Amino acid sequence: MIEIEHLSKRYGETAVVDDVSFTVDEGEIAVVVGTSGAGKSTLLRMINRLVVPDEGRVLIDGQDTATIPEDELRHRIGYVIQGYGLFPHRTVAENIATVPRLLGWDRRRIAARVEELLDLFQLDASEFARKFPHQLSGGQQQRVGVARALAAKPALLLMDEPFGSLDPVIRGKAQDDLLAIQRRLGTTIVLVTHDMNEAFHLGSRIAVMDQARLLQYATPADLLTHPAEPFVEQLVGTAERPFRLLSFVTVRDAMEPGPADGEPLLPTASLREALAQLIWRGRTTLPVADASGAPVGRISVEGILAHGRSLS
Amino acid sequence: MSTRAVILRVAALLLLLVFVTAPQLFAFAFAPLTANDAPAIYNQGSLLALTLSHLRIVALATLASTILAVALGIFVTRPAGREFLPLSRSLVNIGQTFPPIAVLAIAVPLVGFGDKPTFIALFLYGLLPIFENTLAGLSEVSPRTLEAAKGMGMNARQRLWQVELPLALPVMLAGIRLSVIISLGTATIGSTVAAKGLGEVIIAGLQSNNVAFILQGGLVVALLAILINDGLGLAERVAARRLGRPMGGLA
Repeated sequence: MIEIEHLSKRYGETAVVDDVSFTVDEGEIAVVVGTSGAGKSTLLRMINRLVVPDEGRVLIDGQDTATIPEDELRHRIGYVIQGYGLFPHRTVAENIATVPRLLGWDRRRIAARVEELLDLFQLDASEFARKFPHQLSGGQQQRVGVARALAAKPALLLMDEPFGSLDPVIRGKAQDDLLAIQRRLGTTIVLVTHDMNEAFHLGSRIAVMDQARLLQYATPADLLTHPAEPFVEQLVGTAERPFRLLSFVTVRDAMEPGPADGEPLLPTASLREALAQLIWRGRTTLPVADASGAPVGRISVEGILAHGRSLS
Repeated sequence: MSTRAVILRVAALLLLLVFVTAPQLFAFAFAPLTANDAPAIYNQGSLLALTLSHLRIVALATLASTILAVALGIFVTRPAGREFLPLSRSLVNIGQTFPPIAVLAIAVPLVGFGDKPTFIALFLYGLLPIFENTLAGLSEVSPRTLEAAKGMGMNARQRLWQVELPLALPVMLAGIRLSVIISLGTATIGSTVAAKGLGEVIIAGLQSNNVAFILQGGLVVALLAILINDGLGLAERVAARRLGRPMGGLA
């Protein structure tokens, strides 16, 4: 668990981060979102003490980070930045091995860990281990950057615009991959982005920052239904709001009994996807079937609309 | 490098080796340049010994400049040394501004004749290219790479040895190469103050008005410079290729 308590940072007269407090539970993804210059990156960098806070403190599992030697603290926290900062003179395998090497792991353990991570990130070890960063595509570099950050099994991963330099097509896939890996490893993540869609896609909780202050820290659904300030409402986008809300509700919750014709939907699909399917296929109802194909009910346009109205 | 370029360089190396070990073989080529039955081939000492001591003094002086210039370059790019950057720059520039011949003139009364004044002149003259290229190489390292290194818990020493220096290496090597080449030529004037080197051959030629001698001294220095330049250039390319750059280097 990460507890951020009254963190502040000033450069001269300007407050870059002003009295920010929030808590990230174990295994959660907290996304810090806001316009550029809102203090997001500074906040993130205070967690691994790349920036020393003027006031406040950060507790990791109850331990004040100020009491841990800086380098030791950073060995325990994964860090991914925009552009990744891969070492151009080191191979993919050597890049991933950075922190284990610093920690003095023996060679066999490092090799095993590198292979495990390459596998996890769907990079063929025989092909990629010896490549240099400049020989990789943007998406591959991104995966190596995250693999490197996870090498020493940190309980916490800090990510600063980790998808910022990817094109939109690869970005969506990279986000899904990150979610899958995070679910598998249970790593706690604090991620900074200026992309609201990314925040809603990844965040179990979202922290909205503006002009050094934390305006609201809440679940995505709460942020949509109960925005604390006009700025938050503006940022989440009123026009998008119903559709975003529908994406947090699964078909299972709005299902009704009865049969319907057509290609069945999964109960775990979101209502947003279900509505998209209904519109696209020109139907008013579609059947719902579980993973084995057994029908469990149906979903209708009416049902989704009714559900959507009840959310707001 | 193309095959033809390789063959040319191997031929140049062979020519050089044969010439310094058995210069008499080439007497026929130099004879037309002499007058009044003067010797066609330098006969006041072994060309091989002169070449080796020429190389030795250049190597020692460059080694000394490299150690000081690289150390200084590292120091002034650290937070603690940043304020010494302008001062170091001026000092190193002064080394370059004084003509080596003036340095010799000043050094001789202080340290006497022989290799020492030449060493001092070459050392001072060689500092600037190495220092400036060390600075350039270190400051070219991407701030993102350094941020990542710091964020992963590398301390200042680890960042320097494991990230900054390997990345700056091709540019630093280019500076060392430049310094070596300048010194190879400049070392010839050391012979005016009795340093052992190929300058002796040239000076002997000037004194006895023997063009053949002048040409022999110049030829050996030129071949050395070309071959060493290529050899060090190759080392730079190997270092740069690892970084994925086609050719690193500020000349």
